[in-house]
Amino acid sequence: MEADEEERVLRDSRFVITDLKLNAYVRNIFCRTVGDERCKNVRIYILRIPHLNATMYPNGMMTIWSGLLLRVRSEAELGAVLGHEFAHFELRHSLKGFQAQRSTGDWLTWTALLGVNMQSAMIGSFYSFTRDQEKQADLLGLEYLAKSVYPSSVAANIWDRTMAEQDAAEAGRKRKARHSYSAGIFASHPTDLTRSKYLREAAAKQADAGDPGEAAYREGMASWLPEFLHDQIKLNDFGGSEYLLQQLAGDNWTSELLYTRAQLYRLRGNPRDLVSAAQFYQQAIDKGFSRADARRDLGLTLLRAQQIESGRMALQRYLDENPEAPDKAMIAALLAD
Amino acid sequence: MDGARTLILLAIVAASSAASGNKLISPRTKIAVARSPLMVNPSIEWNKLDARPGRNAETWTLDGDALNDVTFYGGIPAGKTLFAEVDKRNRPLPRVSATMLLTDIPPLFENSYRIALDTPLMNIDSVEPMAFAGSKGVRFTYSFTRQNEEVHRRGEGRAAMIGGKLYMITYEAPILHYFDKSLAAFRQLADSASF
Repeated sequence: MEADEEERVLRDSRFVITDLKLNAYVRNIFCRTVGDERCKNVRIYILRIPHLNATMYPNGMMTIWSGLLLRVRSEAELGAVLGHEFAHFELRHSLKGFQAQRSTGDWLTWTALLGVNMQSAMIGSFYSFTRDQEKQADLLGLEYLAKSVYPSSVAANIWDRTMAEQDAAEAGRKRKARHSYSAGIFASHPTDLTRSKYLREAAAKQADAGDPGEAAYREGMASWLPEFLHDQIKLNDFGGSEYLLQQLAGDNWTSELLYTRAQLYRLRGNPRDLVSAAQFYQQAIDKGFSRADARRDLGLTLLRAQQIESGRMALQRYLDENPEAPDKAMIAALLAD
Repeated sequence: MDGARTLILLAIVAASSAASGNKLISPRTKIAVARSPLMVNPSIEWNKLDARPGRNAETWTLDGDALNDVTFYGGIPAGKTLFAEVDKRNRPLPRVSATMLLTDIPPLFENSYRIALDTPLMNIDSVEPMAFAGSKGVRFTYSFTRQNEEVHRRGEGRAAMIGGKLYMITYEAPILHYFDKSLAAFRQLADSASF
């Protein structure tokens, strides 16, 4: 089967995150959602791709993208997405899609698409499901969740936040919100709003309870959060990134989140952004941010904001405290100007 | 390995001959690059590709741009991107700012690559001061892997902000064999940069 060949390539890909602890944690959430019997048939690959997605292949291969791990807020929410993906597998949707593609599709196009095994745009277009199939998978996924230790009421939250993030991204680019509240005739997925609505109704019928595992999820992702945030803020999506940071922080801005927010503002680099960035760096330092980078980045931000004296002081302090810093020559050169 | 390499080279020859305007650059002659006043003086013969990454950019290669790629960025002004947008609406590239410090150049380059190549596997590995084209400048190294390709590439860049515009030369090639093979030729080019 072609999916097997894709899996062979994917297995050795540099995009696969091989951290055993993270893999075991994510797999455990999946198994707790769908049950061990179903879980054992699936091979999970966590990919470092900073967009919200997970995919299920007809041979039992599942990919989970790092952008999804950054965006879900609890074990139950991750379970909801993975349960949805598994539902496609259990309902044999991929195979049906596969057969439809083979009977109507052009062979050349088909192999060409398989060749680009991981491209975000392509993966959806080849193994795309119909809108009805998506809804069936949503509802079956919700049933798994209702029968699991996790509450099914969380499934709708993901779509609510996805809409809010898209709105924030558009606003950040000075455009109007554009997510469609009704799916176009060619759209393969129900709109996020429709999804959120029928998932909420179905969960209300289930009336199941359980701990969504928010604290456990924060703990489970703690070592990877800085990496995933790092990938996110470099996407030049100020509005979406700021929304995600605010969601992650709630009313508790940790030093890591403050540092990342400072980086985000500094990257956009408008004069007032530099003022905000300097404040966030300082707050991160005051809250005990562990890496020396914050002092250096504070200094560089102040220099760029024309606050020369305080910028130089911060950079000098960075050099004094880190005499072996790998970029010491570069920073010293800026100080010598 | 040799067979595979021959195949790759044949593919490149075929690709090169298909594009009409590729041009040989004669050695030991000062030449202006990237439609800008920036000049270089190569010690060996290079091929200039007809396809430009952007309005103010130009690419040279020895064996094909997949194997060794030198790109010149000739004075990108404030408000412009390093190279042509791939998807301006959904994945807009970051823009040059006239107030950028030398240390802001490598992150601008890194993020432009991350977005244009759709990969988070792009990192700046080192940054150090080094004069470029007679101005205070920065030398940086980087490494990246594009999606769907899995080839691990390494790169080196030199850059400076001159008159509020960004001037930069980058070199990149697969780590396996090619990067080391042409590094000296790149460095000679970069050292020769002047106005």
